Amino acid sequence: MSTYQLPYQDGRGFTNCLLSAIGGDGANMAAKLLFKLAAEELNLDGAYDAKYGSEKKGTPTDVSLRLCTFGNPVRESGPNNRPHILCVFRENLIGSLNLNRGLQANATVIVNSCKTPEAIRDLLQLHSGTIHVLDAAKIALETHSRLNMPMMAMLAHVLQFPETAVLKKIKETWPKALDANVAAYQAAVSESVSMTFAADGKYPLVEPIEVHSPLGYDNMLDGGCIDSLTHSTIGRNNGYARSNPAPTFDREACIDCAKCLTVCADPGAIVWKENKMAGIDLNYCKACMRCEAVCPETKKGKALKDPAKEGATSCAY
Amino acid sequence: MRVLEKATQKMFLGNGNDAAAQAVMHIGFDGEGYYPITPSSEVGEILSKAVAEGKSDISFVVGTSELAAIGICTGMALAGGRVLDVTSAQGLLLKVEEMTSISGLGLPMVLNLSCREVNAPLNIKNGHSDLAATLGFGWLIFMAPNVQAVYDMNILAIKVAEAVGLPAIVAYDGFHTSHANRRIEIFADPTDVTKFVGDKPARRNILDVEQPTTFGPYMNDDVINTKVNLERKMVKAYEMLPALFEEFAALTGRNYNFVETYGDANAESGMFVLNSAAEAAKIVADELIAKGSPVKVVVPYVLRPFPAKEIVDAIGPTKRLVVAERVSQYGAANYMENEIGNALHKAGNCHTELISRVYGIGGLNFRPDEDAYPLFELALNWPNVDAAAKTLEGRFWGAWPGKMDYNPPATLKRLTTEETTWNAGKDKIDLKELSNMPTRIDKQSACPGCGIFANLNLFMRGIDGNVVFLFNTGCGMVVTTGFPQTSFKVPYAHNLFHNASSTATGVVEMYHRFRAKGLIKEEITFIAVSGDGGDDIGMDQLIGAALRNDPFIFLEYDNKGYMNTGGQLCYTGILGQRNSNAYVGPGQRGKQTQHKDIVEILHGTNAPYLFQAAESNPRDMIAKARKAQATVRNGGFAFGKLFSACPLNWGTDPAKGNEIIDKVVKSCIHPLYEIENGITTLTYNPEKVNAKVPVTDALGAMGSMFAHLASPKFADEAAAIQAEVDARWDRLKARAANPVL
Repeated sequence: MSTYQLPYQDGRGFTNCLLSAIGGDGANMAAKLLFKLAAEELNLDGAYDAKYGSEKKGTPTDVSLRLCTFGNPVRESGPNNRPHILCVFRENLIGSLNLNRGLQANATVIVNSCKTPEAIRDLLQLHSGTIHVLDAAKIALETHSRLNMPMMAMLAHVLQFPETAVLKKIKETWPKALDANVAAYQAAVSESVSMTFAADGKYPLVEPIEVHSPLGYDNMLDGGCIDSLTHSTIGRNNGYARSNPAPTFDREACIDCAKCLTVCADPGAIVWKENKMAGIDLNYCKACMRCEAVCPETKKGKALKDPAKEGATSCAY
Repeated sequence: MRVLEKATQKMFLGNGNDAAAQAVMHIGFDGEGYYPITPSSEVGEILSKAVAEGKSDISFVVGTSELAAIGICTGMALAGGRVLDVTSAQGLLLKVEEMTSISGLGLPMVLNLSCREVNAPLNIKNGHSDLAATLGFGWLIFMAPNVQAVYDMNILAIKVAEAVGLPAIVAYDGFHTSHANRRIEIFADPTDVTKFVGDKPARRNILDVEQPTTFGPYMNDDVINTKVNLERKMVKAYEMLPALFEEFAALTGRNYNFVETYGDANAESGMFVLNSAAEAAKIVADELIAKGSPVKVVVPYVLRPFPAKEIVDAIGPTKRLVVAERVSQYGAANYMENEIGNALHKAGNCHTELISRVYGIGGLNFRPDEDAYPLFELALNWPNVDAAAKTLEGRFWGAWPGKMDYNPPATLKRLTTEETTWNAGKDKIDLKELSNMPTRIDKQSACPGCGIFANLNLFMRGIDGNVVFLFNTGCGMVVTTGFPQTSFKVPYAHNLFHNASSTATGVVEMYHRFRAKGLIKEEITFIAVSGDGGDDIGMDQLIGAALRNDPFIFLEYDNKGYMNTGGQLCYTGILGQRNSNAYVGPGQRGKQTQHKDIVEILHGTNAPYLFQAAESNPRDMIAKARKAQATVRNGGFAFGKLFSACPLNWGTDPAKGNEIIDKVVKSCIHPLYEIENGITTLTYNPEKVNAKVPVTDALGAMGSMFAHLASPKFADEAAAIQAEVDARWDRLKARAANPVL
């Protein structure tokens, strides 16, 4: 136990990890388990703080995990904005959330992706450090585990937590799914692809600047109300909320029965033109598959199909 | 004094809410009146789970509102019980009339306040405006800057509360502490806690029939004397606390006092700050001192009784003190600024200048580097600081002016009456044709497969022309209007929790007034929308609107729980349903009562049009939308309940919402019918088409919140639900067959 060394230490004695995910991914559970492990098995102290808000399934969220030696004061609260270790559950969060902000030099980055570490470096604009890429969605599917298991496994691995301690905590937490979770753990560690990037000047370090709305006290409407015509959500991309691929549409098989539009949870997603179904708007669709569920079987099959049912994984969308 | 041996402590991992619940279980309470509100809900959830698991015997009663919850606490306390409540923000404000009653009656209890901003626009994050509101309520107020202190202050609070006969608040920061997971110490043996707290002191109670007592008489001139006694109790608490702090330190090794002075006691610059921000300030105080800039942090653990002397002593020689508050008293000096200023004045301190700062409102983080450092710099350099720091705006630390060149173009065209008229003059309901109706609500951030908008958008295809929406608080509101964008293409207002119906009444009243004066030309249909939770807390206002027959449509999306706050029990829930505050375990089998029937409750108001509809029967829903619009155009009130899938909290496949609702309808858990001017009509009778299914078919498909009710272990509950559903269905059939009923 006493041989354990924190992989990083900031000026206040902490290794800072940031888990970036969407609601429902299980990032919170992963951080909770690692915090418990750190305290109970390695006698570390620290903190974990989830992002604050009314998160719905599919909306971006993050969890901070901070670790220090026992006896070091733990005082700061709220999410940590200068991570040494960044763990990204959804590759598409990198760009939309500017996850390089505040990331320290010689960082460790774990990304659920099918891209190469070089491609992830460019996407993230990483100053320097090591990138571990793994197809966590595929591992979760193949091992009948959940996405958070391979991601947590990689995080435990880069934190250099002893494997016996990790497996012990997994067993305590999910006794019924032990085999699946152990398989996911092992697959994550063995299947990840890693590459280290020196501080070669390609990308600068970026300060953790808070991004504020362009509306402030001088130009917001009285009482904080919103002008609907200029501040509609219609221009927004809701596609990040998809945790599985959107349905595919086959115009040939469609009989324009409008059942899809009748049940759609955000009917703008069904493009309806001149009494005809014209496809799915990917800027709306969260891939709930309500439409696919009611789409009738015609002579030419179903017009709306779920790619996940045909074996597509996270890398296909 | 007594020499106490240290009581063994053990490691505990959890957040502030966990720590509060842990303390409550160690202390041993008789009862809790409960109502969920973020971010305090979890305390009650943990306790109710302990009840279900047979680990706690606390009487846990869920009220219809925050006011009801604390009213339940008042009753429990009058009966002599040791009582607990938890709340935040507007939840506290709704309790206000009871809070002053409780202190007035001298009833001890503990209220865990997970502090949250009170505001419109709604914010669920941290702020101290709820706490500030309580300063004059006659409650003891203990402050918990971190997770450890939440546990410890709960133990101290109940002891003082019972000793002096006053209620006590334990205030900790919402999210920053309530949801911060930390490693803390707790008593290894709860009997050490009960020994410290001691038995409840004897007091008059309403269950004592041998010595009958009248509580809460009517009083005229004598009231002032009750206030003298209230003040005396504060003094008594002030006098007993030092010895208690000492005893607690001997037991635990954890030292508390009225006020902590951290850093350099002789520093000329310092910061006075409450709760979690003080922790960040301490980090920076250490670093500044190490760099040769002496500073101090002054942080109180007790606000009521206000420790004036201790605060003056803690400030000592300090010349420049930033008084940072997570609240503002608009148009006046700030709360703590006033109280500290008064204390300094009375103590003859003329050397300390107070520099007021308002920070962290609405959950803005207070970080060491970005926030604590600059505020200490302010204290170190005052008055030689930027002119901007001395302005009104500069006082609000962390606020921003906005970009004046920001002038985004319109991306939305207003909906015209022509393009939203597809129903007028048509008897037939052609879903294909109605697919051309533009959405009034569009692109929200609800969970994938959320039933709310499947329902609302379908219903709205049957509503022609201009629409104005009024929403209660709930998922439907939160996911549509995250500032600075809105998903509403038509005028919309959210008013808190339960107020949409009364707000709609006010709006509609003005609409008709201005229309009669010729000031408004457009015809508008007003639609109030609420979850089923909003119709628990807002039941009285809803009934009021129905009784007044106010001409608007009220839609309830019923997903069987407070889904926006984490799936807590709502009265609409099914018997035996698993909720985050009604678990299934050896000590409790989920929700204890049958589902509320809001349409039947409203039936008694004689409102002209009441209905239930479901997305599984879309033409039926459109037909009812048309009738509802006709009703309000005719000057009457219309109410509809739409059964709504919640994949997140039900634990169901988001794709299966429509299929599940179809089963619910066919089981008659949610029969499709309408009551038009008192005449009941079944608009879909599954028996006639041989489609009626047992309730277990529906419950078994409704996910982990309900599916256990379809298992043999819950056969008794299933039989009771079936019997209730059948009885209600038989009554509906009888009414439909006989218009006199």
